[in-house]
Amino acid sequence: MGLEKLAWLADTPLGMWVISSAAIWPTLECIHFVSLCFFMGGMLVIDLRLTGFYREPCTRLINGLLRLVLGAFLVNFTTGVMFFAGNATKYIDNPAFELKLSLILLAGLNALYFKFRLSHLLTTEGVTGVSKFVGYFSLLLWAGVIVCGRMITFFAR
Amino acid sequence: MSFLEILESTAFSEWVLTSMLGFPTMIALHSIGMAVAAGLTIIVTLYLYRIVSGIAEAHLTGFLRIATWGFMLNLVTGLTLFVPRGSEYIANVTFLVKMLLVLISATILVWLKSHLAELAKGSGEACDSVPARRLSLVSSASWIGAIVSGRLIAYVGTIY
Repeated sequence: MGLEKLAWLADTPLGMWVISSAAIWPTLECIHFVSLCFFMGGMLVIDLRLTGFYREPCTRLINGLLRLVLGAFLVNFTTGVMFFAGNATKYIDNPAFELKLSLILLAGLNALYFKFRLSHLLTTEGVTGVSKFVGYFSLLLWAGVIVCGRMITFFAR
Repeated sequence: MSFLEILESTAFSEWVLTSMLGFPTMIALHSIGMAVAAGLTIIVTLYLYRIVSGIAEAHLTGFLRIATWGFMLNLVTGLTLFVPRGSEYIANVTFLVKMLLVLISATILVWLKSHLAELAKGSGEACDSVPARRLSLVSSASWIGAIVSGRLIAYVGTIY
């Protein structure tokens, strides 16, 4: 995937800082997992609307949740970059990590499709076959992201 | 030989520790269960405190039902992970703190689900229920505490 080009991150002040104390890595793990819960909680409620679990107009709810989800994703992404900077060799050439990044990219494209093509459904009680697919696909992709995240350790060189 | 040591010496424990479908798969499913249970409880808490809004209160019970399924997945996979290393975990203070926090959050989750269902049947509003708001906050905080202590099990030592 060409992640070895990012190995220089280990020599940056950020990479050095992450491994400078025994307390930093576990603290980052805690932040990573807590923000994951905020993220998944928000995503679940959004995806459940797309799948038709509930149907009423909910633009205000989804807009509020999107802010929460984006904020949580940002925290998650930032701590993820810190993990990479602190221990790049664990992630480079790691199939689980590469698949995780691919799934995040795919989930991002899926979310953009929702934003630009399906968000009008939220002003009505509308649920379509496409919205159901996007909702279930999103749930599947994010579950896959979690699974791959946990598999990184088992596939590390 | 203690009960936990007997469990650790079973073929099931051996399978959990050596098979790719064992420990790696169980820990992955454990994380999914955690994200669902904690995530939806947090969203319901944010709703009860009016930080997020715009949804019919009748659906809160549905969200908590899914959160309960997430917890069940968490429980089954957690037990599977416990069996092969029970005597090690039981001596770990962080693990015991995690168990206490999980017990608190799961108990409140069950109560909250039935309480909100009762409110949805009657004329009461969930956001106006002080016990629902306070206990859901305790439940969310306990989930977060359980996640933090779960992450720290590998780093913090044993009691003796």
